Amino acid sequence: MEDLLTGLRIIDSTTMVAMPTATHILADMGAEVIKIENHTAPRSEGGGVFLDNKPGSKFWNRDGLFHMLQRSKLDLTLNLRTDEGQESFKSLASISDVIIENNRAGSMGRLGLDYEEIKKIKPDIIYVSNTGFGYTGPWQQYAGIGRMFELTCGLSQLTGYTDEGPRRVGAAFYDVPVGWTAVFAIMSALLHRQKTGEGQWIDFAMYQIGVSTIGDTILDFVANKRNGQVMGNAHPFYAPHNVYQTEGEDKWIAIGTENDTHWNNLCEIMNNPDWSQSNEYSDSFSRYKNREQLDLLLSDWTKTQNNLQLSNLLQSKGVPAGPVLNSKELLLDEHLNHRQFYERITHNPSDDIGEQMYSGRAWKMSNSTTKIRGPGPALGEHNDYILSQLLGYDEDTIGDFYDLGIISDEPNNQRSSTNPPSLEKLLEEGTISEFDVDFKSILGLA
Amino acid sequence: MATTALDNIRVLDISDGISGAYCTKYLADYGADVIKIEEPNTGNTTRHMGPFFHDEPHREKSLLYFYLNCNKRSVTLDISKNTGKKIFLELLVEMDVLVENFQPGYLEQIGLTYEELKQKFPNLIILSLSSFGQTGPRSSHFGNDLIYYAMSGIMHISGAYGRSPLKHGHPQSYYMAGMTAAYTVTAALFSRLTNNSGQQIDVSLQEVSTSHHYNGPTRYSYTGAVESRATKIEGSSFKGVKFEGIVKSKDGYIGASSQQGRQRPLFSTYAEMLDIPELSDEKFSTNTGRIENAQELDEILLPILEQWNKYDYFDKTMSEGWVTGVVQTPEDLLNCPQLKNREYFIEVEHPIIGKITIPGEIFRLPNCPWKFTRTAPLLGQHNTEIYCQELNYNKDDVIILRQGGII
Repeated sequence: MEDLLTGLRIIDSTTMVAMPTATHILADMGAEVIKIENHTAPRSEGGGVFLDNKPGSKFWNRDGLFHMLQRSKLDLTLNLRTDEGQESFKSLASISDVIIENNRAGSMGRLGLDYEEIKKIKPDIIYVSNTGFGYTGPWQQYAGIGRMFELTCGLSQLTGYTDEGPRRVGAAFYDVPVGWTAVFAIMSALLHRQKTGEGQWIDFAMYQIGVSTIGDTILDFVANKRNGQVMGNAHPFYAPHNVYQTEGEDKWIAIGTENDTHWNNLCEIMNNPDWSQSNEYSDSFSRYKNREQLDLLLSDWTKTQNNLQLSNLLQSKGVPAGPVLNSKELLLDEHLNHRQFYERITHNPSDDIGEQMYSGRAWKMSNSTTKIRGPGPALGEHNDYILSQLLGYDEDTIGDFYDLGIISDEPNNQRSSTNPPSLEKLLEEGTISEFDVDFKSILGLA
Repeated sequence: MATTALDNIRVLDISDGISGAYCTKYLADYGADVIKIEEPNTGNTTRHMGPFFHDEPHREKSLLYFYLNCNKRSVTLDISKNTGKKIFLELLVEMDVLVENFQPGYLEQIGLTYEELKQKFPNLIILSLSSFGQTGPRSSHFGNDLIYYAMSGIMHISGAYGRSPLKHGHPQSYYMAGMTAAYTVTAALFSRLTNNSGQQIDVSLQEVSTSHHYNGPTRYSYTGAVESRATKIEGSSFKGVKFEGIVKSKDGYIGASSQQGRQRPLFSTYAEMLDIPELSDEKFSTNTGRIENAQELDEILLPILEQWNKYDYFDKTMSEGWVTGVVQTPEDLLNCPQLKNREYFIEVEHPIIGKITIPGEIFRLPNCPWKFTRTAPLLGQHNTEIYCQELNYNKDDVIILRQGGII
């Protein structure tokens, strides 16, 4: 078994979620990803998620979402506003294959580190500039965040309960798909480089990637002048297709029939109640037209049953069904654990985090190892390795860099740590639905 | 002529449905030669799914099929028959990638084991998409978009407090799976350049959606807390339909608030920008204060936001450095000045549908650009081209194969 991307070096000068997602996948695949951080600004990729809800000292190295998004990477702090910082960036660029950055359009140019400059020292560099809307057009200076693209890309037009307006689903939905598409773009550019020796600059706009996922809906307007509407959990033409409450607190089962065989098998499992044979529900068109009433009847049937057992029963007769799983149930899920979807990672003792579980990837390859190489790096953790081993700087120079604030292993502008809200408060306001004080033993964390 | 990134890559796509087709759309759009294998009589199931051109159900007028399959060629072939299997293996000789999404075990059942394929075609990359993966206790279960959302953790955290879990009104799980599959294929192709070996890639659609929900499990693993849907008082929740969520404007809906992350600007500047002095009150100045006084904030702000035209609000806030959103309809997208400027929409001509405007370039690779080469293929449109010119069948053979129900 080999690493997929051995020998590839990637400079990751990105923040937020989308591009860090792309680079941690590349790092999991075996590329050497060097995260370049600006230690003069607060570390911002976290989400206020700390072990036992306590930030602790050096909290900037302890945020769970930081570790999730930045795992497998090396870390170099670099103040890019200094000449030395810019020179070091260029030296590193000259021995790298790919640069990814997500600053506002034009920022890298002002630092003298845009594609045109880097190309002079590394002609075949692949340079990705990720922005919300791209480097051209009237919206080029508008900033983008994942959370807003669900609206602007058109997905919210279709999403929400049918008795109210649009509503968001998921957290910052388009960040992650855009990250995945970035991996595709980078690999495609590398394949092109392999054939031609050519690098290139990729103007990578989140907006177009999001809009492209609803192409059929756009064509519906082009051809039929229809503008879409909020759908609830409904299928466009088949019912039942929704979630139904089951036994227990906030437990639900999804049942998604898509043809008459599914429906007939569902009826058989329900022992063909009289209502299922009535005119309102006996054919698919009527079921669709009467789907709200049908959902109530089905809920009556599901509400006394266990969602996991019922979905296994429905699945055994070929009816697409599954429990609505929450984060805890996912981590404990037998199937996902059989496939080792969540990976257990032991942190450096100095971070006092112990062992943690992180989402892996949705795929496995038969001939390649892909895995989380290690937790997210501490700020400046690999300064010495990168500057001395990769760039050949001597000890004195590196010492000067620390003294001059060109590199650092502590953020010099970090806001003081505010304690996250207590779990009791989050429960009271409804941000969380439950919490376990003994979660470590539930998950078997060392 | 500019080259494309994947112009030396040949892909045989025997998958059905959206996810496999979106994967090969990425590959075909950036230059790969993608040949679809479709069932001889009905073709892909997406040919029978709406929306249809002028609402006329017809296997060549599905706009879903059209959108997913431009730039590809189509042959028909029944691989459950022995002759079909033989031709399938002949087609694979010239291929770099096979994309399939049969129920796990089906290929073995009809005598095409992975081991045999690997032995015959050691350089072949086999992409297998399935609901729950090729292994594990749930590998034989049936999934679809609703089930993936339900079992990903996304639905549990989406919707209103005390109401049912909610999914997107469009099957995004399939599109996410297509993207994931596409990047794994290109990574395997890149790796093949050095190790000269193909491989099987096992993509689970449930896991694609589950990996989108990376933050909830991390939160539980660190704190024992289970993230939920919108908060009781929605004003403070981006998942709601109050200020932090999606709210009404005069002519539609907007994402009004950019109070996110740690770089948030002072709220008083927002109050000034919109000229709402009541909002300058000290109690709204912090995030905590706005959560505690969410209902009052909404009472002041929502009626004012309802007076704004959505693009006026969007342009004003965005040009002043805030990050807001506007719920765009398909019609809005077609008229969007940004997409127009970037020449996103192109007009093409299909033999049955005629001229039609379609979305184009997903992202820009200037030296090996996205290219439009052909509209979605008619069912079996390339049978003769591929069977007679690229394999060694003659026209009479094709007639025999057709009559035998093979193609």
